[in-house]
Amino acid sequence: MNCDLARLILPEYLSQSLGESQELAFAAHLATCDACRAETERLGSLWRGLALLPDTLPEPGANVRDRFYESLAAYRHGLESAPKHGFKEKLAALWPKQAAFQMAISFALLVMGIGVGYEMQREKPVQPVVGSELAQLRGEVSNMRQMVALSLMQQQSAGERLRGVSWAYRVESTDTEVLSALLTTVNNDDSVNVRLSAVGALHAFGASPVTRAAIVQSIRKQTSPLVQIALIELLVDLKVTDAAPELKRLASDNTIDLSVRERANWALGKLLQ
Amino acid sequence: MAAVGSGEVQKLAVLFERHHRGLFRYFVSMNRNRELSEDLVQDVFFRMLRYRASYDAQQSFTAWMYQIARNASVDQAQKRRGEVIGIDEFTEHKPDLSPGPEESAVRGQDLRLLRLALDRLPADKRELLVLSRFQGMKYDELSTVLGCEVGTVKVRVYRAMRALEQAYLTISGEKTA
Repeated sequence: MNCDLARLILPEYLSQSLGESQELAFAAHLATCDACRAETERLGSLWRGLALLPDTLPEPGANVRDRFYESLAAYRHGLESAPKHGFKEKLAALWPKQAAFQMAISFALLVMGIGVGYEMQREKPVQPVVGSELAQLRGEVSNMRQMVALSLMQQQSAGERLRGVSWAYRVESTDTEVLSALLTTVNNDDSVNVRLSAVGALHAFGASPVTRAAIVQSIRKQTSPLVQIALIELLVDLKVTDAAPELKRLASDNTIDLSVRERANWALGKLLQ
Repeated sequence: MAAVGSGEVQKLAVLFERHHRGLFRYFVSMNRNRELSEDLVQDVFFRMLRYRASYDAQQSFTAWMYQIARNASVDQAQKRRGEVIGIDEFTEHKPDLSPGPEESAVRGQDLRLLRLALDRLPADKRELLVLSRFQGMKYDELSTVLGCEVGTVKVRVYRAMRALEQAYLTISGEKTA
């Protein structure tokens, strides 16, 4: 290693983010180069001093928090009171973005159209046929949403799996297959973002005792405090009072992240009010 | 943030609790004005709501947030062009250096001098050190925030450290002269 390269990786050496081989090479260079060793000592001293500077800065005032929560409440109020989407927008939202799903839906609609036309030609009474076709159409759409959600949740890409989770919001809350896929995602997905998103989607399934028990069991399986906190907040949202004993255990378990323990304490207060 | 993006805007409160102090410290390190920094923190979270659909879950959230913070800062500066912005003198927070491992790390350096030296740096160098050292950002996140290659970030951090050393030595000389 020469001096130019050593200077380039000096900040990484100071922040201890070099790989093992580079760190060894850097240390070997310092052992033979007085100038680089002196510079590393001087800049290292400043680097460590910089880490203490944030403590000399002021804290934000208490009004910052108050203003934020007021603004958030106002924003949510504005969203809720905004005019809902019209029929066209709702229909457009149902339309998937992937060409394969678009073709599948088009084909299903074509087949149904032919079927309806055939039935009408046979001059059957109109009302019962339309009623049954509508029920069938609803069933088809429901199945299609389920299929899209399940297939996207099994994709390699985290982005696709996130889209799958968002499709889970559109299925019936009694759909056990999608519920099972969501629980698997919450417990096993590699991406914290996907797990967090799946926790949010579980809210719609909160009436089921299976969901409520699974949320409680999932907290300890999580490696991310973020997901643990999201699960605890979901327990409060769903008013799962049965979770109180587990929350007490979490709150007093010193091996658990401090922010999770604090959130568990907060949840206990909310649930036992 | 993915949950906020999918419509659960109340989840922004979790992000606020986690990041508002760091953001405030970033702004106050850059503009030395408490009131303006508090306004900018509000602005950043409001922009997160407005642009939540643009968040890509594959991307670093911290990098995305500080891109927004930089834009908010630039917009604020343009709005206030021509105005004289007050510079606050912060003396109320003094870290306890007497016991503990930090003492040996600092080796008796005067933190006040170091802070003055940091304040004297050009904004781009100061920002680089604040983001990498105060916020603990990795080089790949810095490259996203600053819109340049990781290799360029490394060179710029090294140069910023050298500039900080020069400023520190100059101020030390002024104080002892």
